Amino acid sequence: MASRALAVWEHRKVVGLLVRRDLKVKYQQSILGYAWTMLEPLALTLVYFFVFGVILQADRGMPADAPAYGGFLLFLVAGILPWTTFGAILNEAPRAMITHSKLITTMKVPREIFPMATVGTKFVEYLLTWPVLILFVIFLGGRPSWEGVLVWLPLAILLQFTMGLGLTLLLSSVNVLVRDVERLVRIASRILFYGSAILYPASLVLDSPKVPEWLMIAYQMNPLLGIFEMHRAVWFAGFEELTPGPIAITSAVVGSLLMVIIGYWTFRRLEMSVLKEL
Amino acid sequence: MAQTDYGADLATGPVIEAKGLGVKFAVNRRRKRSLREMFIHGTKRDPNAEGDEFWPLRDVSFEVARGDCVGIVGKNGTGKSTLLKMIAGVLIPDEGEVHVRGKVAPLLELRAGFNDNLTGRENVYLVGSLHGMSEKQIDERFEEIVDFAEIKSKFVDTPVRHYSSGMKVRLGFALISQLEHPIMLVDEVLAVGDKAFKRKCYEAIERMLANHRTMVLVSHNEGDLRRFCNRGLYIKGGSLAVDTDIEAALAAYNEDTKAEIAKRKKADEAKKKRAEEAEKKAEEGKDGGQAA
Repeated sequence: MASRALAVWEHRKVVGLLVRRDLKVKYQQSILGYAWTMLEPLALTLVYFFVFGVILQADRGMPADAPAYGGFLLFLVAGILPWTTFGAILNEAPRAMITHSKLITTMKVPREIFPMATVGTKFVEYLLTWPVLILFVIFLGGRPSWEGVLVWLPLAILLQFTMGLGLTLLLSSVNVLVRDVERLVRIASRILFYGSAILYPASLVLDSPKVPEWLMIAYQMNPLLGIFEMHRAVWFAGFEELTPGPIAITSAVVGSLLMVIIGYWTFRRLEMSVLKEL
Repeated sequence: MAQTDYGADLATGPVIEAKGLGVKFAVNRRRKRSLREMFIHGTKRDPNAEGDEFWPLRDVSFEVARGDCVGIVGKNGTGKSTLLKMIAGVLIPDEGEVHVRGKVAPLLELRAGFNDNLTGRENVYLVGSLHGMSEKQIDERFEEIVDFAEIKSKFVDTPVRHYSSGMKVRLGFALISQLEHPIMLVDEVLAVGDKAFKRKCYEAIERMLANHRTMVLVSHNEGDLRRFCNRGLYIKGGSLAVDTDIEAALAAYNEDTKAEIAKRKKADEAKKKRAEEAEKKAEEGKDGGQAA
């Protein structure tokens, strides 16, 4: 186990190379290149703002004085930008090993580095969405706080990418053996998107009298709920309704750690069969 | 416990050491069961397991000393490439162990790692670094690689997807042959390229062998094998049949092939005879019918 970690560490340069290659290939052949990384979530945000904010009035779950600090629009942007990255990880996770089959079957490297490179690429792309977010924060009057920037932000990023890596390790290896995973993930990704309170404040569900107690707990057990609440708490510090509760925080931390353990265990367990199938 | 172990020490002793090597492939539907095996250890409780397993290679043991050039011969599908993959460490054996001392330059598939969307130059840097070359080393050798591959300078910065298949293969060989790893694994790649390029490949390989590099070569070309190898392994039906010099290995292989051809001929003849007899009978029957 320790020697394996060392081997991965020795190959960190390879991870960097793969990340750089993926980014290069991605941006090389389009005219707008980097602009797409911002345009896509922007377009999505506007659509969702219209549908959920204006038509369905999901913003009624927002605190009363939130509009002064960015309101529902900033709320959406701060959630959708990290989700775009997470959704992209989910989307590419099943193919993380398959697309590199040529390299995996001819080169002796620790196989973990391929899922790691996939997640690494997404991490860089996530950082690239930051300029958009900052612009929104400035123009809409967001109110960042020290608590948000020093606690919620690093925690949210750390947990999100730990979760992403665990999922990628799990899905990429299982998908080599059972290709159904790809389709399953597409459905799961939709469910998670709507179940993680990205388009509406979680308080709409938590304060609703129609939702039974057990479902409320199950809803809060979703580790992504806590992660995305943290992402937004950075800009809406001090609003009780927009700060993740204890159940959400615990399930986010425990869920992410559990995911990476399960993912790595499965990955190592299936490694032999995966190599034969590639 | 099955494993592939890579020691970095360059002390004396065999460079490649295989002990009781075996690998198992599941056939058909049983592949899916590997998922179940993950949770339930062992397959002994499974009564059908035996029938669905296939051992392309089993109980193979040998040692390769420094500077040896070993040729592996055998029919198609007897596990030659599988063996090379295990030495390269890209396939984990189910039984036995391989110890490899020193880095391996694998020429298992020449185009491997080239991304179609990147240019020739970018690919050389990427794949070179993946195989452990530093940027400086590649800088120094870039000209040489491109020269060797006979790629015109105007194509160096063209995406590889516009290359002809020959160009890709030449660039791949040129790059891998620049690696200074002590062990080379070559799988049937000398068959590519035109005559002039082949000659260059031969020279490159001879130069490497003169440098005391160890090489394992899988090929169906007897000329290549005789030219480079001082040892031969003949793999027959998934196990090591002969481990001697290359001449003897080739002789054993050829003998078996001849025997097989003879057998097939015999079977063919028998079949023909049967067909003829059947025809005769039918004709006789017809004649008889007409006579009656």
